[in-house]
Amino acid sequence: MKVLATIKKEAILMIRDPGGLALIFLMPLGLVIVMALIQDAPFRDYQETKLEVVFVDNDKDSLGKKIQIAILQSPNIQFVNESDSNKARSVVRSGKYKAAILIPPGASESLRKKNKQLIARIFSNLGYPAPAVDSTEWPPINIQVLFDPAIKVNYKQALAGGVEKVIANVQSEWIVDQLQNQLSGNTSPKGKMKVDFTKVMHVQQQYASKNKNENMVLNSVQHNVPAWTMFAMFFILFPLAGNFIKEREEGSMLRLRLISGTQFPVMAGKFLFYFGVCLLQFMLMIIVGILIMPLLGLQQLVLGNNIAGMLLTAASVAMAATGYGLLIAVFFRTPQQALSFGSISVVILAALGGVWVPVYVMPEILQSISRFSPLNWGLESFNNLFLRDASTLAILPDVLKLIAFALITLTVSIFIHKSRTIS
Amino acid sequence: MNEAIVQIHSITKQYKGSQQPAISDLSLQIPSGSVYGLLGPNGAGKSTLVMMLCGLMNPDTGSISLLGMNVQENGNTIRKRIGVAPQDIALFPTLTAFENLFYFGKMYGLETTRIRKKINEYLEIFGLADKAHQRVHTFSGGMKRRLNLIAAILHDPTLLILDEPTAGVDVQSRNIVLEFLLTLKTKNITLLYSSHFLEEAEKICTQIAIIDEGKLVAEGVPGVLIGEHQDCTTLESLFLKLTGKQIRD
Repeated sequence: MKVLATIKKEAILMIRDPGGLALIFLMPLGLVIVMALIQDAPFRDYQETKLEVVFVDNDKDSLGKKIQIAILQSPNIQFVNESDSNKARSVVRSGKYKAAILIPPGASESLRKKNKQLIARIFSNLGYPAPAVDSTEWPPINIQVLFDPAIKVNYKQALAGGVEKVIANVQSEWIVDQLQNQLSGNTSPKGKMKVDFTKVMHVQQQYASKNKNENMVLNSVQHNVPAWTMFAMFFILFPLAGNFIKEREEGSMLRLRLISGTQFPVMAGKFLFYFGVCLLQFMLMIIVGILIMPLLGLQQLVLGNNIAGMLLTAASVAMAATGYGLLIAVFFRTPQQALSFGSISVVILAALGGVWVPVYVMPEILQSISRFSPLNWGLESFNNLFLRDASTLAILPDVLKLIAFALITLTVSIFIHKSRTIS
Repeated sequence: MNEAIVQIHSITKQYKGSQQPAISDLSLQIPSGSVYGLLGPNGAGKSTLVMMLCGLMNPDTGSISLLGMNVQENGNTIRKRIGVAPQDIALFPTLTAFENLFYFGKMYGLETTRIRKKINEYLEIFGLADKAHQRVHTFSGGMKRRLNLIAAILHDPTLLILDEPTAGVDVQSRNIVLEFLLTLKTKNITLLYSSHFLEEAEKICTQIAIIDEGKLVAEGVPGVLIGEHQDCTTLESLFLKLTGKQIRD
């Protein structure tokens, strides 16, 4: 009953504090929406943006066409044809385009002749009759891929790798073609076979998820909604510590200390109330992710199939956030100390936990430290649930860490509060 | 003389970093059913003594027994039977008078019906019935002081400790408070009354103790103590004679 009375009292105090209500519900709402909108472009840039590439085909033969056709199949590359190599260099240097592919004149012819020489040499070495071929040593075919210095390394690697792959395929096809010509005595046999090496071996790309939304990827909404919701939940320390210290300064806490057996109910009531507020925050943010984000032109939040796991994670994050808030409230003696330390520490924990930027882009040392941030445990758990369709068992280690964190902070808080009751 | 409800045996308390002890070898006995005035200038050690009586502070040496139990060992049991009206207002400003009292009643472990009955009864006595559903931060100093006192008596304590219960209140509010305290006296509730208002103390206290610099200076029935000093005609003149006229901060 004492716990219930404390919960009711806390609810009344909160309802009568419009500033506190705004901080708890409107601030996170704004934060989630703004951050999702801001980070939408970088996420799309990383995953969806088309790379415009200037294509200069001075070859005007098979090789140039095949490279163009093959690379155009990539959904992330868009070709802009240009006939002047110098102009292509100029637009890439100026940053207007991120890259250019320059196929030199006679590249196809040069490759054909090199292949012919190669096959003739192989036949000759094996003791088979080999036709006389032009013995001119053809220079290497110099296909140039120019990059804007500001291009991201991953784009650069992807484009260069793509071009090399196409050339390797074309060369293989032409070697087989030349081999058939050689074996048939260059008489263009009727049974000459056309080999498409891209069909010999195919690399199938798909996400290793059993989720019904198989194409679900980490996007701005999927990252920002759970990340900033947790950030907001940890900011519960503001009203919690603020009210707690205010009660201490105003004297109402002294009266409670003067009433027998109120230490545990007061702490438990505060914990349960703010735990409930954190869960409300979570539900509100989830609704925003599902209903509001699409209205803003963003993707809809996808929850995955394990709703029980999601609620378990949300509850454990709420416990951890409330426990931390309570610890800050009892440890510091003034609101200034508590709120300054509390807010800065939450920002640091959030940054380390991957709320601002995903952990995998952090330096190795920060990645190691991030394992100790409760926000990282929560975020990992949500990512596992939303993107990897993880089972409850799979998220249990992170959930248990959050619960352990909550229990430790709660126990220490009660200990400090009790030790300060009697001096 | 009634049996002592409070027995203080040679207690000493010195705060960390302080040159002088706040309480020095103090012994007192407060008879059950009495209105015991604890008087002294600023910094005499009154509030320290009140904190120790409530079990919120332990003496460095000596012992305090309340209702026959050692305070240090039975703090929780003792706190159930005492009521304290601290000098500073100990209420939630954004809650109404009723909400404050209801919450404290619940924390005392009282039943809802009993709490409601007590709240209505006391709000009526203290002239706050029509303000029951107003938030406390809108109250005047006197109204807050009266509400602060109600919060201390909701659970019918055996011993009521009052630290400056009439500080900063107008004459009318003071009159209501003092009249109510006199009714408690008839119900055999012991009052420990700490105050600067010597006229008030002389009026309602059956016994007084004057302490200064943490030491007991005088103890006894006010009239008898005044009579023992021929040049003193009032408690105030006795107080000034025993504690001096220098300003204390």
